[in-house]
Amino acid sequence: MARDSFSKRDLAGKPDLAATALRAQHRSEALASRLPPLLVAAERVAATVAQGVHGRRRVGTGETFWQYRRYEIGDSATMIDWRQSGKTQPVFVRENEWEAAQSVWLWHDSSSSMGYRSVQGLPTKKERAELLLMALAVLLVRGGERVALLGSGLPPSGNKVTLNRLAMRILEDTLPKDGLPRVEPLPRHAQVVLIGDLLSPLPDIHKTVAALSGRGLRGHLVQVLDPAEETLPFDGRVEFEGMEGEDELLIPRVEAVRQAYMERLEAHRDGLAALARAAGWSFVTHRTDRPPQTALLALYGAIAQEPTS
Amino acid sequence: MLGLGPIAFAVPWILGALIVLPILWWLLRLTPPSPRIVQFPAIRLLRDLVAREETPARTPLWLLIMRTVLAALVILALAQPLLNPRAGLPGSGPIVMVVDNGWGAGRDWPARQRTMADLIDQAERNNRDLIVLATAPDAAGEKPRPSNLMRPADARRMTQSLAPMPWPTDRAAVVDALRGLQVQGSAHTVWLSDGLSDAAVQPLAARLQQMGGVEVLMDGADRLPNLLLPPATEGADLVATVKRADTTLPTPVTVRAVAADGRLLARQTAAFAPGADSLEVRLAMPIELRNEVIRMSIEGEQTAGATVLLDERWRRRPVGLVSGRPEGENQPLLSDLYYLERALSPFSEIRRGSVLDLMSRDLSVLILADIGALTDTEAAAVENWVERGGVLVRFAGPRLAQHTDHLVPVRLRLGDRTLGGALSWSEPAKLAPFPPSSPFAGTHIPPDVVVDRQVLAEPSIDLPDKTWARLADGTPLVTAENREEGKIVLVHTTANPDWSNLALSGLFVDMLRRITALSEGVSGDMQATTFAPIEVLDGRGQLVPPPATVFPIPGNAFRSDTLGPRHPPGFYGTEEARRALNLTSLVTKVEPLRRLPAGVAQGTYAARGEVDLKPLLLGLAMALAIVDLFVAMLLRGLLGNVRIGRGRRAATTAATAAGLLLAVGCVAAWPGSAHANSDDFALKASGETYLAYVVTGDRALDDTTRAGLEGLSEVLNRRTAVETAGAMAVDLESDELAFFPLIYWAISPSQPDLSDAARVRLNDFLRNGGTILFDTRDRQFGAGSALTGGGPGSQRLRRLVDGLDVPALAPVPPEHVLTKAFYLLQDFPGRYGGGDVWVEAQEGRHNDGVSSVIIGAADWAGAWAVDESGRPRNAVVPGGERQREMAYRFGVNLVMYALTGNYKADQVHVPAILERLGQ
Repeated sequence: MARDSFSKRDLAGKPDLAATALRAQHRSEALASRLPPLLVAAERVAATVAQGVHGRRRVGTGETFWQYRRYEIGDSATMIDWRQSGKTQPVFVRENEWEAAQSVWLWHDSSSSMGYRSVQGLPTKKERAELLLMALAVLLVRGGERVALLGSGLPPSGNKVTLNRLAMRILEDTLPKDGLPRVEPLPRHAQVVLIGDLLSPLPDIHKTVAALSGRGLRGHLVQVLDPAEETLPFDGRVEFEGMEGEDELLIPRVEAVRQAYMERLEAHRDGLAALARAAGWSFVTHRTDRPPQTALLALYGAIAQEPTS
Repeated sequence: MLGLGPIAFAVPWILGALIVLPILWWLLRLTPPSPRIVQFPAIRLLRDLVAREETPARTPLWLLIMRTVLAALVILALAQPLLNPRAGLPGSGPIVMVVDNGWGAGRDWPARQRTMADLIDQAERNNRDLIVLATAPDAAGEKPRPSNLMRPADARRMTQSLAPMPWPTDRAAVVDALRGLQVQGSAHTVWLSDGLSDAAVQPLAARLQQMGGVEVLMDGADRLPNLLLPPATEGADLVATVKRADTTLPTPVTVRAVAADGRLLARQTAAFAPGADSLEVRLAMPIELRNEVIRMSIEGEQTAGATVLLDERWRRRPVGLVSGRPEGENQPLLSDLYYLERALSPFSEIRRGSVLDLMSRDLSVLILADIGALTDTEAAAVENWVERGGVLVRFAGPRLAQHTDHLVPVRLRLGDRTLGGALSWSEPAKLAPFPPSSPFAGTHIPPDVVVDRQVLAEPSIDLPDKTWARLADGTPLVTAENREEGKIVLVHTTANPDWSNLALSGLFVDMLRRITALSEGVSGDMQATTFAPIEVLDGRGQLVPPPATVFPIPGNAFRSDTLGPRHPPGFYGTEEARRALNLTSLVTKVEPLRRLPAGVAQGTYAARGEVDLKPLLLGLAMALAIVDLFVAMLLRGLLGNVRIGRGRRAATTAATAAGLLLAVGCVAAWPGSAHANSDDFALKASGETYLAYVVTGDRALDDTTRAGLEGLSEVLNRRTAVETAGAMAVDLESDELAFFPLIYWAISPSQPDLSDAARVRLNDFLRNGGTILFDTRDRQFGAGSALTGGGPGSQRLRRLVDGLDVPALAPVPPEHVLTKAFYLLQDFPGRYGGGDVWVEAQEGRHNDGVSSVIIGAADWAGAWAVDESGRPRNAVVPGGERQREMAYRFGVNLVMYALTGNYKADQVHVPAILERLGQ
């Protein structure tokens, strides 16, 4: 398991950390017992969306036929297509299309404001975000792409254990709990998916997006909100408490401010959409009371689209 | 005190706080309610939003009203509202409470206690001190004294310890005690009287008026206590006199006579005539019951004056018997006293002893049976006793014929006269009819009473006057003489059948009864004794053990005026010789309390009816406060989240609790149906003939026994005239055995030992004609027979029959009825062959010659046992099916033997039997 190799590399020369690591491993194995529900849910969601490996429209390693060309000095003899060469005089070499897996970097917001749900029957925003992330990862891995968690330090991979490792990492909850991802050096031509409630101030989001897209990454923004955050269904005199240590706010009559709040939320969303458009990214909004398939479909479609470069 | 119709407020100035209510309303209306607290992640977007309208949220109107009502309730409660308030207590000084707690207060003491409690409550509210004064001397005999000035709480404690006393009040001492009493300010006196008047009422009322206002409380005129005076005896009846205080109404009165164990012996109702203050009530009872009466009381009154205790002066006619000869225990029918006791015991108390012993206690009649001459001391004592009212009855006999003394009614001739006999010409004489002046007049003389011998009296002039009974030829048989207050009676023949058969006849009983009815009863010598208290009456007329403050009474001071706190009414003396001291021998009149001085208010003990509303209002306010709390929490959303879960949980717990209660109720409602069971058992067992078997507790064995007896009963029904209905299990501890002619008892080692009740039941069964077949079933252990063998069954059998009345046993002889009762058999095999069967050794007339116990070891039930399809269950060794047939034949013989007796043993059947046997 990657966890084991990680721990062995980490602990070389530090035997007193072995016990802590063992405990953490036990903890993560306990967490792994929660994997099946998440994976099953993710796979169920993902099963509604078809997938496939996509070609890169250029010559390279792959399986789909691309072109025939004349044999030149230096080509490998195994590449000669004898049937074609037998039809005419010159010798032809068969070339395939370059089909390469993409690497997609996934990130979800695990700050405490994501742990909100307005009604017992709905999932918290965090749960929905995790679900979307895992479902996307399942789809991508099935489609042959490579996935990795942004901020986890692991390279992207698309093999069988990737999903398990990914799920365990998510459930361990050891990733940094910021409202926005930390910008790290990522390879070019990768894609990045940011899932969260994106309620941070627009300038902060703009900074992150600009940093990531400046490195040549194509990104996708997914905003997951609770229906109460969209509709503000409270009445009367309410004292609001922030979930990340902000000050309380007392509103004498919530009905009076509802309209203004919804306008403000709309304005924030428009700002996000403009941001994404400017950077060439996609933007999807999602409410936790809607089925997750809709968001996933939109997201996957956005990822599968060919870049116009 | 502010009054508004039926409600009054004790502290009216607090009502001024009601002004605050509108201000409270305005404040509550202005104050916005507490906000709900909600967690919201998008709070950043909410900041600094401009609201379109500015009106803040308000408290809902109904909540406002509820809170105002709450405040109003609290203010009203603090003002101490009273429903139906009483007038206040006048005066400024202390409250003096004079309580009559003599015997008259026992009638309705709870009402007096309630009144005292109300009064103390009122004093507490008005913050006045109290002085309590009880007018009867207390149990230690101390005169009544006013208490010190007390706080209401102390007064409450003191009045709770007051109780009615069974002696009269001492109001004169109260007047003396009040003489030195000083009070500050003008005291208000409340006199809780018992409604009875005596000489000191006027001075007491005057003295109380000197201290301040006086209020006298008493019962209504119809509720004054009645007196029951000690009854007189007229013949067999008790006549009691009831006196009352108020003479206007014709009220009925019921008098009860109660025995020592509380049984009601007689009850009689009579009504006072209007204007009469005394009434005679006659209680008629048989003489035997009259001897048991221990107290009489007026029904419905619980005072010491309505209870009269009766001792020996009223009830007993003790008869003393003295005999000249020492009785022979082995020949009771020859002794004198036997017949006297038999004749007297139903209606008199018999005492035996020497003359002086009998003289020292109460005695009505002294019977001397054939005593010739008494010693000087005895004679003097008896003469003294006779002169004080005793009846001396003497029976003649050989000794009296030889010596006589002066304690005879007539002069006697020495010697006796023989009537009839071998050497005389006359025949035994019969009795002549009784003269009309004799106490025996009217009794029936049986024609076969004859007198053989008698003692003769010297003829004298007054002999005919003294004669109560004569023989047919005119000779006196019973003579009597009055001596001062008593009588001496002489019967000229013996008290036993030596000289006549009078003692054997019913006439003897009648004569003795008449003689005892003449007697009055004389009290014994009382000078030298001290009477210790046995039981005393308390203030409510109940007999209680004497407290330590009761002293014994010396014998010469036992008069009615010794009654007091030291000697309350009750029983004194010893258990055998009780004397009753009654209150109504001292208090013989009751007068109602009238003619109080002017200025004295009068009232009754009716319930005051003042109700304090403060606790009620405070309770309401508390309930409203709790409701308000819940509503506030609801509005703030603190209860909202868990409503669903709580509701579901509450519903399930309620359902579980209801289900549990229902189950417990069902289980508890199954009463034991043991009674129905025994009746069913008796009905079933007596309806048909059943073969019974003893339940041993071993299920397999009982099963086999039952199957065996069912098989046998089927064989019996098929082959003989006996119709048995089958087998029936019998539990020796609980079932009745008398229904079964035959009981089969398979001895198992696990059978528990018999209890004593079971042993008694078995003995009765055996004695009254039942037969038990003991089957030890251990032939296979090589033991030759059940009794002498050492198998486990026979050991158990020996232990079981340990307490039973089993007669001597012997092996069945060859000519026993069992061998020929139905079939002709030589031996009695069961599952195992061989071995002996033991029966009773001597069969006599008892039980028609049927042996009550039959013991064997061959396991017959095992051989008889069949299953449902009629196939035999157990194998039979060593003989096989032929042996089983023989076992069935033995069973048939056994049942025939048990049911028909030994008629087959008659010689009548012998020729037929011999012919059958081929001889």
